[in-house]
Amino acid sequence: MTLFSLARKNIKGNFNNYFVYFVTLVFSMVIYYTFTSLQYSEKIQESIELSDTMSFMFGVSSIILILFVAIFILYSNSFFTRKRKKEVGLYAILGLRKKTIAKMLFYENLVMGIIALVIGIILGTLLSKLFAMILIKLMGSTADVDFGISFLAITQTVIVFMVIILFTSVQGYRLIYRFKLIELFYAEKKGEQIPKVSLISAVIGVLLLVVSYWLILKPFPDEFTTEYLMKNYGIAFVALFIGTHLFFQSVTVYLLRLSQRNKSRYYRGTRIIETSRLLFRIRGNARTFTVIALLSSATICFLGATYSGYYSNEKRAEEVVPFSYSHLSKGPEFDSQVESIIKADHRHPIKAQLDIPVIQVKGILSFQLDYDINPVQLISESTFNKAANALNKDETVSLSRNQAAVIQPRFTEYTKSVFKGENITIQLPQGSSKLPFVHMVESNVLPFDYPDFFLVVSNEMFAEIAKKEAPLTYKVYEVENEVTAQATSKKVNKLVGNDFQVSSSFYTEYKQGKEGNAITLFIFGFLGLVFLAATGSIIYFKQLTEAYEAKGHYEILRKIGVSRKDIRKSIKKQSLFVFGLPLTVGILHSCVTLYFTSNFMSNLIGINLIVPILTAIVFFVIIYAVYYVLTVNTYNRIVNK
Amino acid sequence: MNIVVEAKQIKKVYGAKGNVFSALEDIDLTVMEGEFVGIMGPSGAGKSTLLNILATIDEPTTGNIVVDGINLTKMNEEQLSAFRRDKLGFLFQDYNLLDTLTVKENIILPLALAKLNIKELERRADEVADKFGIRDILNKYPYQISGGQKQRTAASRAIISKPSLILADEPTGALDSKSATDLLESLKDLNEQDKATILMVTHDAYAASYCNRVLFIKDGKIFTELVKGKRSRKEFFNKVLDVLSALGGGANDVI
Ligand SMILES: Nc1ncnc2c1ncn2[C@@H]1O[C@H](COP(=O)(O)OP(=O)(O)O)[C@@H](O)[C@H]1O
Ligand SMILES: [Mg+2]
Repeated sequence: MTLFSLARKNIKGNFNNYFVYFVTLVFSMVIYYTFTSLQYSEKIQESIELSDTMSFMFGVSSIILILFVAIFILYSNSFFTRKRKKEVGLYAILGLRKKTIAKMLFYENLVMGIIALVIGIILGTLLSKLFAMILIKLMGSTADVDFGISFLAITQTVIVFMVIILFTSVQGYRLIYRFKLIELFYAEKKGEQIPKVSLISAVIGVLLLVVSYWLILKPFPDEFTTEYLMKNYGIAFVALFIGTHLFFQSVTVYLLRLSQRNKSRYYRGTRIIETSRLLFRIRGNARTFTVIALLSSATICFLGATYSGYYSNEKRAEEVVPFSYSHLSKGPEFDSQVESIIKADHRHPIKAQLDIPVIQVKGILSFQLDYDINPVQLISESTFNKAANALNKDETVSLSRNQAAVIQPRFTEYTKSVFKGENITIQLPQGSSKLPFVHMVESNVLPFDYPDFFLVVSNEMFAEIAKKEAPLTYKVYEVENEVTAQATSKKVNKLVGNDFQVSSSFYTEYKQGKEGNAITLFIFGFLGLVFLAATGSIIYFKQLTEAYEAKGHYEILRKIGVSRKDIRKSIKKQSLFVFGLPLTVGILHSCVTLYFTSNFMSNLIGINLIVPILTAIVFFVIIYAVYYVLTVNTYNRIVNK
Repeated sequence: MNIVVEAKQIKKVYGAKGNVFSALEDIDLTVMEGEFVGIMGPSGAGKSTLLNILATIDEPTTGNIVVDGINLTKMNEEQLSAFRRDKLGFLFQDYNLLDTLTVKENIILPLALAKLNIKELERRADEVADKFGIRDILNKYPYQISGGQKQRTAASRAIISKPSLILADEPTGALDSKSATDLLESLKDLNEQDKATILMVTHDAYAASYCNRVLFIKDGKIFTELVKGKRSRKEFFNKVLDVLSALGGGANDVI
């Protein structure tokens, strides 16, 4: 018998053991191939205006993906190898030479890897179409996807995985030389022992978690330095990391032990079985739980934060470019040209059309503000009210002669109280005049252009200043259904040019934001899905292995008189603990971390994080629930059939 | 005296069409309350199969079994589980202890499952622990104790719920002779003092000599039966050996 055929026989014989590992391999390959084929898809690249950003993001993510996939495969490989030490020991006892066994393991792993690679690429080709459709849908494009096989993606996938497979094959080869025969044979026998309770490390664990939560939730100081950021959050995250580990390692043991104290509860029904089994397994699971809790909290955070960007894009775009079209008046001929383009679009009829005269002046504030206010842009009270009305905002200002209202500069967090009781001195050719602030409003009228400091003044004042300083006139239009005005926006943009730092038409800003956010969302979603699937699978694999080991255990219980129904219930409870605990800790962590992120973000763009975060969490819980059901069923089939 | 076990025409057939193998053929068995019955026979004779059927772990292909007045063939899975928990006690060669539980937790498990109140549960645990002399190891785990101690733990668990019938499958099979004798003495005390009904499969003639009556099975059929009567244990032991040699064939691999 050749080594090759012996290896093949091996795989066939131990299918169950191999299956789990094989699925891991295929899964990783499918994910990686799908991702790279999207990266190289010309159709997708064409339909995106921000191609540079996209390739950069895809590139970075694909490196993260490689790292992750490599770790995942190495993890399951070592898991798988550990289960096979005994088998290897058996071959050695049967008289096979170490070298022969080593070669056999090497070939075996190689064959399996290659088969997985072929299957992975085939499945990946099917899946990449699905994912491409999702991406395109997210971006709001209408391009059709029909791409078949991407040779670039195949080459890259093959190279990456051949390296990983060769590496694991060499590892298997080395395994034989590293271990003594007796160790190989008893590899599986080293059972876990009941862990001792360490009150000290349980207390330290809780303390570290409390400290890290406190540091994260602490409000920002007035003086906000990088050093503070590094120190405060550096310590917080290290504490979170160690605290989480100690939590699983000691706190849970302590709590389970505590629950054993109450005998009349503990000695009742199957609780005694579940508690003791969980206690037995917990140390072996602590590291996995920690990784899973941290990984899932990171994923929820990223997903929540990115989704909120996507979710609130329209709101953000409306703030940055308030009207559907805005442009600087450049003479009647030019203006009517623009107007006729907009009027020609019958599918987006004009709702409102305004002139916005703006006077730029130099101003000095009566207090220190870390914002460059000059030139100050003046608009009149009536213009502001008309514009706000046209945009369906219910803000109005009414000012007496000398008063002024400030429009909150965009991307800042100044509140009313900053301006309260203060004033601004504006310098005019005929002398300066001092205007007290009586209001701060939040409705913007023109597209963003730094410095974004608008002042609303009374109509009389505006008319007076206008006599000396000719106003610029902006023409703005608000149309029905602006989110679909693609063609007209393109034409207007082309004609108008760059009057502002951002686009002059709402649609362009909206679409670019949507695409950018869609890509980020898609990539984080994709990575999140991979992390999720990987963590779910890791728990699933672990539970499966445990099920095989626990077969005898449940057989004994059946003999003692525990019904199948009760055994199933007991399995459910244990699996719920195993899936629920890291997930709960992960969700808690992510809520705390997101609170911190949202301190950063939501004020900047003024968006609501609750819905997107809840969506991310619900999504996570649902996928875990699927794994939970899968685990309970398989576990039950193994021990309770 | 009450009948504890009444099995009639038990048949057990393994395999499907064309390749059937009959492990038990028309076995009739009656055990009275307070009896200590041994079942012997060459390996492969069907002893464990019979015991497992009586234990409701396995089902007969045909036949009728009544234990303690309850007809086993008419019960569903859940009822059978409750029946095992409340009416039967088990002892196996490989102890069947749960390695995640302490000795004490192993012992009280049947009572915990039956949701007995805590006071009574503790009282009975003390009682059986004293009976089998394992008080000192109650808080140890199975991997920390010897084979003899494990089997005494298993025996404690088997009797703690005061079962109507104790079933033992080669309980001394993995024990050294000292531990085996200790266990057999304990079973005998249980039988004589507490009137426990015991059915024990063994292929050790010495173990069988502790019984009141021994059934011999060969090729799935009852071969003969020996009753101890007024004989001394030594005499009974010799009788058992005689029958075993008469069983022939498989008798070589007995002991
Ligand atoms: N699940 C099974 N499937 C097929 N044959 C079985 C099965 N269990 C036991 N047997 C066969 O039934 C016969 C009796 O087995 P068993 O009762 O275990 O014998 P023993 O008297 O040694 O305890 C043996 O020949 C055995 O091979
Ligand atoms: Mg047997």
